[in-house]
Amino acid sequence: MMSGGKGKMMGMEDEDGGVDELLAALGYKVRASDMADVAQKLEQLEMAMTSSAAQDDAFLSHLASDTVHYNPSDLSTWLESMLSELNTPPPPLPSAPIPNHRSNQFELPPPPAAAIPAPILDPGECSTVTTVDFPTPGRQSEYDLKLIPAVPGRVVYGSEPPAEENARDRKRMRTSSSSSSTSRGGIGVGVGGMGSAMPAATEASSVAAGAATGALPVVVVDSQEAGIRLVHTLMHCAEAVQQENLKAAGVLVKQITMLAASQGGAMRKVAGYFAEALARRIYRVHPQQDCSLDSAFSDILEMHFYESCPYLKFAHFTANQAILEAFAGCRRVHVIDFSMKQGMQWPALMQALALRPGGPPSLRLTGIGPPQTDNTDALQQVGWKLAQLADTIHVDFQYRGYVANSLADLEPCMFEAEASGNGNAGADEDPEVVAVNSVFELHRLLARPGALEKVLGTVRAVRPRIVTVVEQEANHNAGSFLERFTEALHYYSTMFDSLEGGGTAAAAAAEAAVGASVGQQDLVMSEVYLGRQICNVVPCEGTERTERHETLGQWRGRMTRAGFEPVHLGSNAFKQASMLLALFAGGDGYCVEEKEGCLTLGWHTRPLIATSAWRVAAASDALPAVAR
Amino acid sequence: MKRRNTFSINDNVDLLVEILGRLDGRSLGVAACVCKLWSSVCRRDSVWEALCNRHVAGGGGGPGTRSVVAALGGYRRLYRLCVGPVLDRLAGGPGRAGWAPTREEAAHLSLSLSLSLFSIDCYERLGGSRQRPASLLFLCKSVNVS
Repeated sequence: MMSGGKGKMMGMEDEDGGVDELLAALGYKVRASDMADVAQKLEQLEMAMTSSAAQDDAFLSHLASDTVHYNPSDLSTWLESMLSELNTPPPPLPSAPIPNHRSNQFELPPPPAAAIPAPILDPGECSTVTTVDFPTPGRQSEYDLKLIPAVPGRVVYGSEPPAEENARDRKRMRTSSSSSSTSRGGIGVGVGGMGSAMPAATEASSVAAGAATGALPVVVVDSQEAGIRLVHTLMHCAEAVQQENLKAAGVLVKQITMLAASQGGAMRKVAGYFAEALARRIYRVHPQQDCSLDSAFSDILEMHFYESCPYLKFAHFTANQAILEAFAGCRRVHVIDFSMKQGMQWPALMQALALRPGGPPSLRLTGIGPPQTDNTDALQQVGWKLAQLADTIHVDFQYRGYVANSLADLEPCMFEAEASGNGNAGADEDPEVVAVNSVFELHRLLARPGALEKVLGTVRAVRPRIVTVVEQEANHNAGSFLERFTEALHYYSTMFDSLEGGGTAAAAAAEAAVGASVGQQDLVMSEVYLGRQICNVVPCEGTERTERHETLGQWRGRMTRAGFEPVHLGSNAFKQASMLLALFAGGDGYCVEEKEGCLTLGWHTRPLIATSAWRVAAASDALPAVAR
Repeated sequence: MKRRNTFSINDNVDLLVEILGRLDGRSLGVAACVCKLWSSVCRRDSVWEALCNRHVAGGGGGPGTRSVVAALGGYRRLYRLCVGPVLDRLAGGPGRAGWAPTREEAAHLSLSLSLSLFSIDCYERLGGSRQRPASLLFLCKSVNVS
C-alpha cells in the first residue's frame, strides 16, 4: 500500500550519530530521538489512507499514479511530505506519563474502553509509559482503541484487533509468565516462543518501516522496549553470523552490549555472555586454552556451582542411588568415575555403603582426570582424602587415579584389579562388581568422531553392572549455527534464571542478601562457570567445541546403539531428589520429573539436566560399532 | 518433720534423660542452659540420636549406624548441621506436587539425606582447611523476612 513500505536491504549501515542502527541496517535513516514521532506519523498516515475508501479514492489513485516520490529513506521528512499532501491536520497528541507498575506477574489487563494502559513492566525496568490518545475528530466512533498487549513490556494500541491474534498474543504472554521469573524483561517471550515471537518482533521494526500488516495498524508507544530489542538484536546478530555478514554482526554486537546494560538481573548477564561469545566468533578470537590453569580453575568454578544450585547435587544423589541399588548384596565393588574432579560424589556413597544392612563391601574407586602440568597431583590428593574418610567410617577402600587427556585414551586393562599380595588372581574372592559413572563428561567426546564409540566399547569391556550418565538436557550439537544459538539462548537463560530465582542469597520475599558475601560469590562464580560453556558452544567449531550437549533422547539412541539397555531409576531416587530440591531456598521453581525411567531436573517445566542408568544389553556379543 | 514428697528431677537422672529425650532440638538447646546436670544430659549423643531417629520406621540403624555417625561427628552435630535445618525447611512448605510422603517416609528420607550431606561436609573438612566447607551453606541460609 505504501510506496517504499516494504523493508529494503540497502546493504549498508549508516553510522551517523544518533541514527537508529537497526533501521539503518534496513536502509532507513531515522534518528533514534525521532522514533516515537515517526511512528505516530506513520499511524496517522495509515489512518488517513485506510479510512473510508470512497472519500479518499481520489487521493489513493493520485498516489498510485503519481510517479514523483520523495526518497523514503529519510522517513521523517517523507512522512511530513505525505501528510502535508493529504492535508489532514495532525490530531493533538497529549502525552501523560504513567507511573510504572511494579508487578511480578504478567497479568493481562482486560481491554479497557479508555486508552489507559496498565503497563506490564518488570521491576528493575524503570520507565514511564507515554500514552498517546488519538481523538481524531469525526472518527472517534470508528476507532475503538483497545489495549493489545502484544508482548510483555510493551503496550500497543490498535483498532479492532482480530480475535485470533489476541488469543495468540495472550498465549505468548502466558508462556512468558510461566517461564520467567521476576527480574527479567521479555526473555521468556523472545526465546520461549521463538516461532511466534519473531513475527511480533519483526512486526515492531516493520511498523516503523511502514508495513503494518492487515487490519491492525499498530504503534509502539512505550519507551521501554529494550528487553525485546535485546532478544531481537541477539537473534539478528546470530543470523548475520550465519550468513557470514560479519560487518553487520559487528554492529549488532555493539548494540547488544548497549542494550544489555539497560537490563537487570539474569537477562543482562545472559546477554552479556552471549554478546561475548558472538564477538569471539565474529572477530575470530580463540584464546589459547591454558591447560594447567584451566583445569584447576574449572574445578574451583565447579565447586561454586556445586554449592550454589542443586544441579550437581541432584546428579550425584540420583547416580549414587542407582549405584547403591546395583551393588545390593555384593561384597566387592569397583566404581570407575570419569568425572572425578574433587570427588564430591563419593562421600555420600561411602556413607550409604557403610550403613547398609549387612555392612559395607570393599570399595575400590578409580578416578579419571585431566593432566595438570603443575606439580600438584589433584587426583591423588582427592584419593587421599577419600581414603581418610573411608578409614573413619571403616570402609575397606582402595583408590587409583588415571590421568588422561581424553577418555578415549583409556583401555579396559587399566581397570583390572591388581593381583597384589593375594597370589590368586581373585579366583576364590568374591567377584568384583563394577559401576561406571559419568557426570557431564560424555558429551565432550562428540567433538572427535569415533571417540564416544571407543569409550563405550571400553565401558562394555569392563562388564559393568551399571553405568550412570548425567548430561545436560539440550540440543547444542545438531543443526545450523542459528539453531544451536537459539537453543543455547533458551537453555542458558533458564539456567541463569534458576540461579537468580533459586539462589542462596534471598528467600522469596526478602530482597536483601543476608550473609551474602559467600552466597554472592558462589552465584558469580557459577555464572562464570556457565559463561565459559556459552563461550564454547557459540563461537567454537570442530574439535575445539567440546560442549556438545545432546538431549536424553539422543543419548538413549547412542547408548542403545552401543549395546546398552536402560535401567529404570527407582522411586527412591525420585523421592530423594524431590526432597533434596525442597531444601533449596526458592526451590519452588525446580522440578524433578521422571521420563521413561530417567530423572530430569528442570526449572519451571524446562528440564535442564537428566540422569539415566544403563547396563550391558543381554544379547550383545556381536554389535556393530556405528560410527557417527 | 520432713515433707514427704520432696521430689527433685535432678535426683533421677534416668527419668530426666527420658523426658529430655522427647524434646525437639530447640527445646533441648534451651534445656541445656538450665543447670550443669541438664547441660550434661543434653550433650549426650544418645539424646540427639533419639531425636534424629524419631518417627523413623524401625527406630534408626542400631550399633552399626551409631559407630558410623559417631565417626563422622556424632548425632548432636548431625542434628545441628543437617537434620535440624532439613526438618525446618521441609516444615515450611507443603509437599511437592506429585508426591506427599507419610511421616515415616519423610523422617526416613530426611535422615538419609542428612547423613549424605553430613558425610559430604565431613569430607570437606578433611585434609586441611584451605577452603571453608561450604556444601551445607544452602541449608544454613534461612531467611524469611516476611
